[in-house]
Amino acid sequence: MIDHILSILIFFPALAAMLGFIIHKDSIRAYGVAVATIEFALSLWLWFAFDSNASGMQFMEQLPLVPAFGINYILGVDGISLFIIILASFFTMIGIASLTDTKNEKNMIVTLLFLQMTMAGVFSALDAIVFYVFWELSLVPMLYIIGAWGGPLRIYASVKFFLYTFAGSLVMLVGMLFMAYLYYQATGAWSFSILEWYRLILPESFQLWLFVAFFIGFAIKVPMFPFHTWLPYAHGQAPTIGSVILAAILLKMGTYAFIRFSLPMFPDASVFFMFPIAVLAIIMVIYTAMVAYAQEDIKQVVAYSSVSHMGIIILGTFALNVEGISGSIFLMIGHGLVSGALFLLVGVIYDRRHTKMMSEFGGLAHVMPRYATIFGLMLMASVGLPLTVNFVGEFLSLLGFYKQSHILTLLAGTAIIVGAIYMLAAYKKMFFGTVTNEKNANLKDVNRRELLALIPLSIITIWLGIYPKPVLDPINNSVESIVQLMHDKSTTSEAKSRIPNLVKNVETAKTSEQGAH
Amino acid sequence: MELYLYLALFSPLAGSLFAGLFGASPRTKIAGLVPSLLLFVSFVSSTILLVYILSGGAKVHVEMMTWMATGDLYIPFGFVVDQVSVTMMMVVSLVSTVVHFYSIGYMDHDKGFNRFFSYLSAFVFSMMILVMSDNFAGLFIGWEGVGLCSWLLIGFWYHKESATWAANEAFIMNRIADLGMLIGIFLIYWNTGSLQYDQAFAAMNGLDKEVLTWMGIFLFIGAMGKSAQFPLHTWLADAMEGPTPVSALIHAATMVTAGVYLVVRANPLYDLIPHVGLFIASLGAFVALFAASMALVNRDMKRIIAYSTLSQLGYMFVAAGLGAYWVALFHLMAHAFFKALLFLGAGNVMHAMHDELDPFKMGGLRKVMKGTFVMMTLASVALAGIYPFAGFFSKDLILEVGFVEHHYIIYTVLLFTAGLTAFYSFRLVALIFHGEERYKLFGIHPHEAYKFMLVAMSPLLLLAIIAGSFKMTYFEMVTAVLPATEYHVHSAITYWIMTIGTQLFVILAIAFAYKKYANNKVKVPDGTSKMENRLCYKVLSNQYYIPYIYEEYLAKPYKELSTLFWKQIDMKVVDATVDGIAGIIYSSGEKTRVMQSGNLSTMLKWMVAGTIGLLSLAVVFGLAARYSGEIKTILSGLGV
Repeated sequence: MIDHILSILIFFPALAAMLGFIIHKDSIRAYGVAVATIEFALSLWLWFAFDSNASGMQFMEQLPLVPAFGINYILGVDGISLFIIILASFFTMIGIASLTDTKNEKNMIVTLLFLQMTMAGVFSALDAIVFYVFWELSLVPMLYIIGAWGGPLRIYASVKFFLYTFAGSLVMLVGMLFMAYLYYQATGAWSFSILEWYRLILPESFQLWLFVAFFIGFAIKVPMFPFHTWLPYAHGQAPTIGSVILAAILLKMGTYAFIRFSLPMFPDASVFFMFPIAVLAIIMVIYTAMVAYAQEDIKQVVAYSSVSHMGIIILGTFALNVEGISGSIFLMIGHGLVSGALFLLVGVIYDRRHTKMMSEFGGLAHVMPRYATIFGLMLMASVGLPLTVNFVGEFLSLLGFYKQSHILTLLAGTAIIVGAIYMLAAYKKMFFGTVTNEKNANLKDVNRRELLALIPLSIITIWLGIYPKPVLDPINNSVESIVQLMHDKSTTSEAKSRIPNLVKNVETAKTSEQGAH
Repeated sequence: MELYLYLALFSPLAGSLFAGLFGASPRTKIAGLVPSLLLFVSFVSSTILLVYILSGGAKVHVEMMTWMATGDLYIPFGFVVDQVSVTMMMVVSLVSTVVHFYSIGYMDHDKGFNRFFSYLSAFVFSMMILVMSDNFAGLFIGWEGVGLCSWLLIGFWYHKESATWAANEAFIMNRIADLGMLIGIFLIYWNTGSLQYDQAFAAMNGLDKEVLTWMGIFLFIGAMGKSAQFPLHTWLADAMEGPTPVSALIHAATMVTAGVYLVVRANPLYDLIPHVGLFIASLGAFVALFAASMALVNRDMKRIIAYSTLSQLGYMFVAAGLGAYWVALFHLMAHAFFKALLFLGAGNVMHAMHDELDPFKMGGLRKVMKGTFVMMTLASVALAGIYPFAGFFSKDLILEVGFVEHHYIIYTVLLFTAGLTAFYSFRLVALIFHGEERYKLFGIHPHEAYKFMLVAMSPLLLLAIIAGSFKMTYFEMVTAVLPATEYHVHSAITYWIMTIGTQLFVILAIAFAYKKYANNKVKVPDGTSKMENRLCYKVLSNQYYIPYIYEEYLAKPYKELSTLFWKQIDMKVVDATVDGIAGIIYSSGEKTRVMQSGNLSTMLKWMVAGTIGLLSLAVVFGLAARYSGEIKTILSGLGV
């Protein structure tokens, strides 16, 4: 069974979702929680069975789909994708468990299970076409969640979300087809296998064009400035559960794809575009942080803060060294946890007051002390306080990029200032002061169902901040092999010097070991 | 010894978590008592470590576990107890134990009693991490941890707008500086390959001067935030919104000295770059004078003491910048004792006066508050640097350092500031305790604090008096790790003239303060007196208009720019472009759909138009193909 664990992870929730249609609507919640818990347990089993010391792909599966064009159903997982898969099933679980009473609960749970399928698929696919299929399929449940359970502008928001990201991925698809064609020209056989693409050394001019094609698809998904405007609408209109999954997992698809596709396939182009992308990332960090500061709606603050944090992730990715890339992957997990928790927290107050405007609140710390405490903790994690999960990722990402540019890192580092400004200002508006609004005077503190999601998130946020090793080690091993691959593949001298060569260290270690014998 | 290290480090955490358990329940004495006792445990453990180090023991170094490891980076949770950190541990654990016990009385009636102790102990834990870490990343954990606790404690009374505002200001200002610190850490990592103190400092000897200079500058920017040096100083005075024990512990004795500790700890780096050191010293001297000047006219008891703290931090930076690290650390220690004492005394006065802070509204309190009166007077004497109190030994030493190192301008500034220090300290004492009982006008009935609070303060009083006598023991201990330069004025006559001259100058300043403020003619100022309308008074009482400038020219434009970015750029440019493109596609579809309406005559019309279009295209291409040679010559003639 463990050999097919990835397929099970993908198709178990899909099958369960199908079955879900025939479950009675009174027992659908229990059913959904049970399925999601099994799914989460399976993903933990995956982690347990995962060999942390190996850097390559594990639990690979291969089935031919269209042999003539080299399209195969290939799955596999390494340190980079492992934890995002676990995070996805974790959020599906706590998302369903803490789901507030919604209309058409059954449809919502079925949709969430389908979404889980697509997320597991995206992060374990090793064939470009399979990847693309899951990538696009993930839009459908989210379109449905926003469009069916969203706020007043839900149709506009969901269509915008769908068309915008879809348009981007079409460009990416063209890139993929072209890549497969180049592979055909080089080897005489078609292939969409990502691992086989890794072996292809492309001239720099081709790399640049392909990089751009992939970049457009990924950048819209991340979303990078100036392609980010679908996000505030999507978050603003989506129900809590939609925002949670969107921020925690779906946005990570873009940054994950950068590491899975762009860096190892186009090392020279990555170096070529490093500074323009870093500049975009810095604009993301500072500009959206300022926009977040100007917001009047707490959910929009969290939404824009997501974009701001994704800027740091991009920066870490394009540091092109082990410290930076490991940091950016760790920050994906950290940001997933923290922004997911923040959206859940916003949902808590929205359920009580049916408004998200900060001016409606004030002095909530008096009436909802536990809520204020958990919010405070997540706020501190969001601004990247040491010993919370975000600090590790942020620190490593910035540390990594510092090797590439001092000034740009200094600018990006202002994230820790501007982040504190909007977060503290929002917290002050909502929680401090006296209760001025009558309607807030008798609000109930967080209830058990909400704590079911928030307590585990709080614990993980601190645990991974203090002891990131179990997650960071496998990430580090896989990243080292990617960086080495990039260094070996790169053709320009600029790229050779910017991407560190790790083999040297290994060799010297070996010789010293031999000397010891 | 490792056991004591862990005890000293983790007892405050245990205390914090214990009090945190009672966070939501109504106040219970036990939530205050247990953390205080645990801190006492921490203090005892620190003392045992101190005795061990004093008796010549090797430094204790433990590595608890890995924190971050990726690529070549390796950061453990490592802790070291050496001569420098044990000094800091003593200061931190002693002052915080005193403050904890004192707070049991001070926070007696506050409904956030349990929460308060949880925060306060968490602060001590962070501070312990800060001083005990064996690497820069660990230091940064403590650095941010104390920042967080400071935020929580300044904004402790979160219903007050001013308190929460001050808390956010402090946090953000510190973050600005922390960015500098972070960059400093990156520089150290990429240039030395390690963040462990011993390895990093060992590798620095071989580095380029310019890189070292940048390292020194960025680390010092970090220090400027925590130690509230100009221009990041405004938060410290505003931080007085927090409960007074917090001001005593965090904003006088411990956290604000973290910057000085950092410079002392990084002494191998700063020894290599004396020009940065000189800048630090000059800034320190400037801040000493600048802060003292603001204390002269202020009418808020706690702010006066806060400015005094700022001014004394300037002294410490002068010593540290000039390479006299042990002197800086010594003044840090002595200052912690008497300044905490002064603040706790001010807390007693505040309680007695029902939170009134204006010393002009007090007067004559010595009759009802004998114990507090004695303690605050002695603390002020120590602060002024009168022989044989602690301040004399530490502060005069800094003056001597300036003199011996031939920085006469710094020396003069510091000497002048010493006079100002004496003046404003005794202005405060005189206004509070002497003169007419002006508080009667406001219908206040003051009372002395609980006896056990005074008892809790007594260790500080004792140390404020006798700390100077430890100078030689201390010197021999810390110079095992710090440069052991002794600063002696060579000529004995010069030395005596300097010392006695300084003492006389300070005593004169005290006398002048008493003469002016200890009489019965002092009135509550109402804004009409001649002095209050002078320009220099206005400048000083408005803190040189710096907070105003920050508010008007930084905070407000930032807010406006943010709104502009959101409403004008994000909505009207970026998003509108996307919607515009979508709109064009949509409307072109909308307009051309008439072609497909199914109406036969329309469709025929379009068919004819299409045929003509295609035919003409065919003709054009046909002609172009036939005359391609001619077209090429024409085009080349046009320079295409």
